Amino acid sequence: MGRYLIRRLLLAAPVVVGILLITFLIKAAVPTDAVTAMYQGQMSEKDAAQAIAALRAKFHLDLPWYQQLMIYGRDLLHGDLGESIRLRRPVVDEIGFRYVNTLILTGVALAIALVVGVTTGVIAAAKRNTWLDVTATTVALFGISMPAFFFGLLLILVVSVWLRLLPVVPHGPIAILLPALSLGLIEAAPISRVTRTSMIDVLRRDYIRAARARGAGELSLILRHGLPNALLVVLTVVGLQIGNLLGGAFIIETIFSWHGIGELAVNSIKWRDFTLTQAIILVSALSYLFINLAVDVLYAWLDPRVEIQA
Amino acid sequence: MLTRRRLLISSLAAAGAAAGPLPIAARAAAPGSANIRIEIDPEGLYNVQSISLIVSNVLGGYLLERLVYLDEKGEPKPWLADSWQTSDDGKVITFKLKPGKTFHDATPFNAEAVKLLFDTILDPNSASPSKGIIGPLEKVDAVDDMTVRFTFSKPFAPFLGLLGQSFFGFNSPTAVKAAGSAYARHPVGTGPFMFKSWTPGTEIVLVRNPNFKQFRPDAANQGLPHLESVTLRVMTEEGVVASALQTGELDIAPLTADAMKPFDGDAEYVIITDKHAKNLMFMEFDYKKAPFSDRKFREAISYAIDRAGVLQAAFGGDGAIALGPLSRGIPGYDDAIAKDDGTPYDPAKAKEILDSLGWVSKDGGTRSKDGVPAHFTVRSYADGTTERALAVIQANLAAVGIQVDIGTADWGSFYPALLKPDWDMDLNRWTWSDPSVMSQLFRSPGHRQLLPPNAAIDSALDAADGELDFKKRMQDVSDAQKAILEDRLILPILTDWPITVTRKVVEGYRLDYLGYTYAGDLKIAAD
Amino acid sequence: MSAALDEAPEFEAESRLAQFAARFLANRSAAFGGLVLLVLIVCAALAPLIAPHDPLAINPIMRLRPPSAEHWFGTDEVGRDLFSRIVYGCRYFLLICLVAAAISASFGTLLGLIAGAGSSLADGLIMRLMDVMLAFPYILLVLVVVAILGPSLWTGMIAVGVAGIPGYARVVRAAVLTVRREDYVEGARVLGASRAQIMFGTVLPNVLSPLIVYLSFATPLAALLASALSFVGLGAQPPAPEWGAMLVNSRTYLFSAWWAVAAPGTALFFAIFGLNLLGNGLRDVLDPQS
Repeated sequence: MGRYLIRRLLLAAPVVVGILLITFLIKAAVPTDAVTAMYQGQMSEKDAAQAIAALRAKFHLDLPWYQQLMIYGRDLLHGDLGESIRLRRPVVDEIGFRYVNTLILTGVALAIALVVGVTTGVIAAAKRNTWLDVTATTVALFGISMPAFFFGLLLILVVSVWLRLLPVVPHGPIAILLPALSLGLIEAAPISRVTRTSMIDVLRRDYIRAARARGAGELSLILRHGLPNALLVVLTVVGLQIGNLLGGAFIIETIFSWHGIGELAVNSIKWRDFTLTQAIILVSALSYLFINLAVDVLYAWLDPRVEIQA
Repeated sequence: MLTRRRLLISSLAAAGAAAGPLPIAARAAAPGSANIRIEIDPEGLYNVQSISLIVSNVLGGYLLERLVYLDEKGEPKPWLADSWQTSDDGKVITFKLKPGKTFHDATPFNAEAVKLLFDTILDPNSASPSKGIIGPLEKVDAVDDMTVRFTFSKPFAPFLGLLGQSFFGFNSPTAVKAAGSAYARHPVGTGPFMFKSWTPGTEIVLVRNPNFKQFRPDAANQGLPHLESVTLRVMTEEGVVASALQTGELDIAPLTADAMKPFDGDAEYVIITDKHAKNLMFMEFDYKKAPFSDRKFREAISYAIDRAGVLQAAFGGDGAIALGPLSRGIPGYDDAIAKDDGTPYDPAKAKEILDSLGWVSKDGGTRSKDGVPAHFTVRSYADGTTERALAVIQANLAAVGIQVDIGTADWGSFYPALLKPDWDMDLNRWTWSDPSVMSQLFRSPGHRQLLPPNAAIDSALDAADGELDFKKRMQDVSDAQKAILEDRLILPILTDWPITVTRKVVEGYRLDYLGYTYAGDLKIAAD
Repeated sequence: MSAALDEAPEFEAESRLAQFAARFLANRSAAFGGLVLLVLIVCAALAPLIAPHDPLAINPIMRLRPPSAEHWFGTDEVGRDLFSRIVYGCRYFLLICLVAAAISASFGTLLGLIAGAGSSLADGLIMRLMDVMLAFPYILLVLVVVAILGPSLWTGMIAVGVAGIPGYARVVRAAVLTVRREDYVEGARVLGASRAQIMFGTVLPNVLSPLIVYLSFATPLAALLASALSFVGLGAQPPAPEWGAMLVNSRTYLFSAWWAVAAPGTALFFAIFGLNLLGNGLRDVLDPQS
């Protein structure tokens, strides 16, 4: 296991370097930067020019891209993510709490997705081809087809405005309910389908038939054999989807004013505040790689146990 | 309709109260505090670093005070300054300060504080955007504890009017020095409210300044602020804001004209329109390119635009159409010139001019001249209002036989791209409180380097910027407006009036000439 | 007996297409999904005949009116008829699906083929490149495309297309690796076919089935992604009646004019739902085990 981990970490290194390279190349290609965006049009051209020059020197924006990359790399190794150009404060201060917020949202949404998805998938598989199954599959299909932000807007309309169940701008722990529901219910759809398919697949196998013939109850079969296998496949799907959840949540974050990293990513591009963007790219990429690794390790760890059981 | 829902909520609440704490209880404000909406989270609350609208509103209305304020007519009046004197050559202004003012951290407000602010702004290391605004200022000296002397390289007429802006509000020197780069997260001023806390992206909490002395005679409340605290809540989504007002989660909220509709005519709410608004939405041209280098062509396009239609589509009719290059809220706006030399909506005239210039259409379709079709681009920044305005403009121009393509991009892409020659017309908007905005835009070569030199305009603008006598300056400003308008350098369209909706229980909400709130006057009547 | 043997293959080949068509129509998902696609195509092709109003005609006085006899779905924020805009929007939807899928599928398949059938160096390089593309946050990739190329429908579609490449590459590569070991591939190599000939002549046709299956559910996903582009200023520019742009721009009116939000949102939903049904049906028909 140790050697496997080390090998994976080594493989991840060039990916990170590749990402940084692309980031700085892109930065060189984008025609404007934060300073220009902030000051041009706010005052006369001559004065804007002088304010811009001062800030650009401070943030090394005049240097060629590879030099900027080197400086950034060097600072990174010292643990310094730089300062936001627009906010004039350390990037860590801004990204820190937002990353935690996004993790919380992703976590709760995933929990909802798993609970709803696995349960409906199991029921659909157990009651195959009955109306329960058809309903569950259709609803799952609905979920895959629904644009997340449309669903979020509908939820606000129905829950906050028509039914008045929640304040429009909730405070405290309850604020996570609607955004997590929006994300979670939609993510539940693919999980439900995959659970159903793999359950059906397992329940068809010979050793299950044999156990059934020996008199084992359907429920115990589902729980002891079907579920663990299904969960393995779900794990893979979740691993693939987590990238979506982390990155694609930006719309949900904006609609519900959930101050996470997605919202900041969009804003950082609008403001051309590249120090922020660079840090977000780095954090997102590292999270993605870490999650991939975790899923693979989890899978490898779980897999032999299932085989033994069978 | 609203009352029935309130009944539903109260009965639900009553039913639920037995079941335990109800997380859905609407957060109505206690009589001593107000919840006020702000559109975006400020980037930082240090006026030296930031002159954006949101920072200006927060600092200017609640936290910082300035040397002068502008009265109903836009004339500077003493506020923290007691009086001022200008030297004969117009290059030195000396201010005497009113005694007895202290900062929120109990340190005294004096000439040193004034000097520190302007020194910081003038210091190139601060990279302050305000530096360019007070261009000719050379140095500031604290003659004694209550006297400050400003020295300019040449007479600078806009200065006194600009002093009323929040950019020139005063920060406690002790606090600035102690906090260093973290000052923007914890401002210390002299205003009616003090900074208490800031949850990034969510809300800023301000509390009453217990030692506040009101030096501004035009404030209705001359004592301590009525409110104990004010919470500025960051809400970017317009649709959500209207609902929050209805549930009582907000007391005061700036809104767009569309979002405001449900409250119009409802006695539970008061709608306040800022008719002093100093913005102007306008179109410009790439003056170096044919056919826009031709004054007559620009004039034809000016006649083709239905300004009232644009106002209706973009702002729901809340505002006034503009025919002159200054907005009505700016001192020096000359209505006579706008009426005489402006181009009201007249598509027949537009067609006539286009015909006379040789732009003809064969079958009532797009015009062309010498084989070149009238097919142009209009650029703008991406915003709901510009997009709706452009929809109308596109239709108006199509009606006179000119086809335009629309392109919008976010401001960071749009504005710098205007320096490149690949656009024909743009839709732009400025907000400024002084006539010197015309100098920024139109003194050749113009803010986008595209204007041909025009002696009439340049000399009028120079005169206006250097004339310290208020009445004489207004005359120069009129001359400048006439010259700019006659040359059709700008296609003025409209000024929109920002709307604020308050719940009925809010009293004392009004805006001064520059658009700042009289925060000390705010009061919530007990229900 | 030999006569029967000789006849049998011909009989098989002829009715394979017929068999496919029969199974396709019998499958409820596929049939319904196909119907939705048909409606979309008809609306797109015959839009000028179906739409009662000009989708671009503005009318500032009639803005944000609720559904009525004159305007079946109501009007939007500049007074345009929503029903007409929805009908014309079918064109944009189909175009986006086609272009994005074409870009993803073509480049992705090519890369997957090379990675699977080529040298292990090529495999390693390509897969690392795909890893980098997948690790890069999608939204930032899209936004940067806007910042560099400027916002337009085409740059949006290209961005979505490019983002979809790694998925196709992985699927094709996996399929190629499975097929590679089959006997007929060995046979072709023994017979002297070049690498390229093997790749395109032998491997590709056998990779088609999983590829089509992947295409069937990746395309609706791409459509979903594309619909969100307008949220960040990409995608169709005003006044184009693209459903995603309409949905995003009308969200301010969620509480005052909900029909402006409901119309494009529901249209998007139904179209994507139809595509998903179609994909389901295709999967059942082509690959019953999965």
